[in-house]
Amino acid sequence: MARPYDAIVIGGGHNGLVTAAYLAQAGKRVVVLERRERVGGAAVSEQVFPGFTYSVFSYVVSLLRPEIIRDLELPRHGLHVLPLESTLTPLPNGDYLAQWGDHDQSRRELYRHSPRDAEAYDEFGRLMHHLARAVRPILGMRPPDPTSLSPRDLLGLLTLGRHFRGLDRPVFHALHKLMTMSSADYLDEWFETEALKATKGASGIIGTLLGPRSPGTAYVLLHHYMGEIDGVFRAWGFARGGTGSVSEAIASAARGFGAEIRTNASVARVLLRGGRATGVVLESGDEIAAPIVVSGADPRRTFLGLVGEAHLPGEFVEDIRRFRFRGSSGKVNLALDALPNFTCLPGVGPHLRGAVSVSPSVAYLERAYDDAKYGEFSRRPYMDIVIPSMIDPGMAPPGKHVMSIFVQYCPYHLNGGWTDAKREAFGDAVIDTLARFAPNLKSIILHRQVITPADTERIAGLAEGNIFHGELTLQQLFFLRPAPAWADYRTPIAGLYQCGAGTHPGGGIMGGSGRMAARAILGARS
Amino acid sequence: MTLDAVVIGAGADGLVAAHYLARAGKRVFVLERRDGNPPWPDAGWTPPRVVRELALARHGLRTAAPDPWLAVPLPDGGRLELWRDVRKSADAIRRLSPRDAERWPAFCERMARLARLLEALYAAPPFDPLSRAPADLWRLALTGLRARRLGRQGMLDLLRLLPMPVQDLLDDWFESDVLKGAVGAAGILHLKQGPRSGGTAFGLLHHHVGSPPGVFRPPSSNLGRVLESLPGVEVRRGDRAVVARIAVRDGRVTGVVLAHGEEIAAPCVISEADPRTTLCDLLEPGWLDPDVVGAVRHVRCRGVTARVMLTLDRAPGFEVLAVAPSLDYLERAYDHAKYGRISEQPYLEARHEAGSNAGEHRVTVHAQFAPYAPADGGWDAARREALGDRGVRTLAEHVPALSDTVVSRTVLAPPDLEAAWGWPEGQPYHAELALDQVLFMRPMPQLSAYRAPVGGLYLCGPAMHPGAGIAGAAGANAAKVVLRDG
Repeated sequence: MARPYDAIVIGGGHNGLVTAAYLAQAGKRVVVLERRERVGGAAVSEQVFPGFTYSVFSYVVSLLRPEIIRDLELPRHGLHVLPLESTLTPLPNGDYLAQWGDHDQSRRELYRHSPRDAEAYDEFGRLMHHLARAVRPILGMRPPDPTSLSPRDLLGLLTLGRHFRGLDRPVFHALHKLMTMSSADYLDEWFETEALKATKGASGIIGTLLGPRSPGTAYVLLHHYMGEIDGVFRAWGFARGGTGSVSEAIASAARGFGAEIRTNASVARVLLRGGRATGVVLESGDEIAAPIVVSGADPRRTFLGLVGEAHLPGEFVEDIRRFRFRGSSGKVNLALDALPNFTCLPGVGPHLRGAVSVSPSVAYLERAYDDAKYGEFSRRPYMDIVIPSMIDPGMAPPGKHVMSIFVQYCPYHLNGGWTDAKREAFGDAVIDTLARFAPNLKSIILHRQVITPADTERIAGLAEGNIFHGELTLQQLFFLRPAPAWADYRTPIAGLYQCGAGTHPGGGIMGGSGRMAARAILGARS
Repeated sequence: MTLDAVVIGAGADGLVAAHYLARAGKRVFVLERRDGNPPWPDAGWTPPRVVRELALARHGLRTAAPDPWLAVPLPDGGRLELWRDVRKSADAIRRLSPRDAERWPAFCERMARLARLLEALYAAPPFDPLSRAPADLWRLALTGLRARRLGRQGMLDLLRLLPMPVQDLLDDWFESDVLKGAVGAAGILHLKQGPRSGGTAFGLLHHHVGSPPGVFRPPSSNLGRVLESLPGVEVRRGDRAVVARIAVRDGRVTGVVLAHGEEIAAPCVISEADPRTTLCDLLEPGWLDPDVVGAVRHVRCRGVTARVMLTLDRAPGFEVLAVAPSLDYLERAYDHAKYGRISEQPYLEARHEAGSNAGEHRVTVHAQFAPYAPADGGWDAARREALGDRGVRTLAEHVPALSDTVVSRTVLAPPDLEAAWGWPEGQPYHAELALDQVLFMRPMPQLSAYRAPVGGLYLCGPAMHPGAGIAGAAGANAAKVVLRDG
């Protein structure tokens, strides 16, 4: 009989795989149990139609922690992130706003819309860069419990306090504003070009059911600038082979360290004995024992599903029940016979190698939100579009293309619930909206895949289809993610840990949660 | 006579500041262009320390304590009445939801505990989280200790609550739309946000400050009138008290120049006017860093409320009546404001007081949202009347006899409130109550210590910490800073 497992990781999403890789690297015998037939979770690439590869749920690699790329030698395992350099925002009047990889070119373009904004652009960038530097260390910090008096937590709080008190006064105040303001108000202080404010500000609404005028949406602006800092590590952009290739690279690294990865292995329950996790039982009835169980599933699934509330303290169950998911985004993946032709910038050009953002104004985003808050999908949604085959020709047959459309708002809680007909109606709204800017779109679609939050929940297992395992709102961040006192990757069950995006820092293909969970398990100081 | 200080503005904060200085032996002169106070009693909570130190109770300070503190119409024609007695409210809530009734006392207790913390923070100048001065470090430690004293539950409530939408907070506790609408309206009072916006739970907490547990509206008092009658400070009102300019020499204020040309010399000028008026209009230009001027212009002060003043010939049959039947109703009212329109179905809150003449009754109706500058053209007589009609009609749906008892009606739109009371853009708080404009950020970091960046110039109005409906506290805090500076 083989050596017993030291640890079981539930879920082969990118965070679970990161945890497994680190644990295996430290000499633990680890098994990853993935419900689906492939690893990756929401970071998967699939050939839904022959010859066309989709990153089904996700589309860009954002803030993948450089430490992970380095520690796990991911490039050696096939990770290749290609930069996404430009963003094109088509406008209803036939014009456009472009932000290019080249800074001066972007400024010149902005000057065309507003000389004042072009002037402010550099200063804004410098400030945001400072703020990103101030916040970046927090991403790698294990959240202390602010209510605890234990030396470790007090030390954590002290470190945190010292970090912020060490900032320059203007940086500290700007950071306070950024953390508490709405992206619309924050950007209003700097810019007047609506398309610029909407395109930049849209990052703040992704994955939440808030509008751009709601306080708490500004801080996500930082992610872009953190990405720029990490950009030297090629941590932000498009993964060759789709986002699934990130998962594959991490899985390969994990296997290289000796981790075992089982697919089609759906965990039914976490086994408990005497208040300790002792292993898991699979849907098939098989039991697997290990003294450490790490869940990469979202907090609701982990605690209310796999563990069961009967085994947890009532207050903790309340906290998890109260944790808000509210999936608000959908995805439309298209197989195209040819390239879309944008009215504002006709023909094939560098703009098709970057992102296209349908975000002409803040009011446009607000209107999209208005539909969603009363339980409808946006009739005119915000969209963030990339054409992966332009960057990585392997994604589609020669001459053909794939297009990934991230769409918001598409609420999980739709009036009357999601049906096949409503999914198609949602897909139609997306195509109709985009076709206003690229009229040839409808005639070049070969296949269309529409993913609603209900689909994301059903297929990838994310509660309410929230792409971040829970909204990234201030009241659900850092030491409150997913629940106070249990934000340090431990759980009220001894031997059970959490490593999913429902823990700090959460969200996006970042791997931060998976890495820090492994460090917590291994007892490393962080 | 040589003066020690000139105070611009004889509102609650200006007069409180003046009296504190006078008590310390300073010769103070107050200038007020307007005659009298607004015709509604909405001076908010005044910290007990100010009441005590200025002996306001002895001079007739009365805090209104309507009971029920709020009545809201029910869809079936009845009313939900919320009382100052927590248990009595719970009994009333039980008809809507037994579950909510069970939870009401605990909710009231938990919110009250957090409000007490804010009360402590509001009664002193804001702490400076970055300062290394021993006194500031001490205050910082004290604040941390106070937060710790909330206990684990209280600390978590606070951390979680501050950035939350008030809707999420109330959804966590209650199921009744009527109850959530009634309580949640306090979260968006005078704010250009809906209940789904982040930070509105803080608004609820802020407006709970100074009220007993279970009362989620700011208290009101006759503070303005009491201060007017308080002896010891010379006040000049009217046309000969209009400040045209704050004079500066060598980076220090030298006094004020009045509109009719008179110059009043003083080494210290304390302005109750909003920061934009004080620093961009009144202060001699050229003394401020352009960055500061930029930040002053970015202080958000969007007025969103109109007032409909009614005179009735009969008592209306309520003390405080709110039309805020659900959080969705409030959110939809905000949707219009978001795009610069007046709410088709506004949030209304009507307060009744006895009028000055026998048999006369006055009702002041708070009507939100009514933007300062509607996107589809400015405020004219027709638009004011339309809003007045809408308000009275909506109220009359719930108080049928009302329309027949109205003797006169005046509609004050945000521009009218700006003209009459100097509220920038019609915003009574001078700076919106938002998490980026409170405590050491109020109204902006460079001004949060009440000192303007020109020697001898101070600000003490509602834009200053704690401001926003906390009456007299900013004035008292500013005076402390002035006295400390010598």
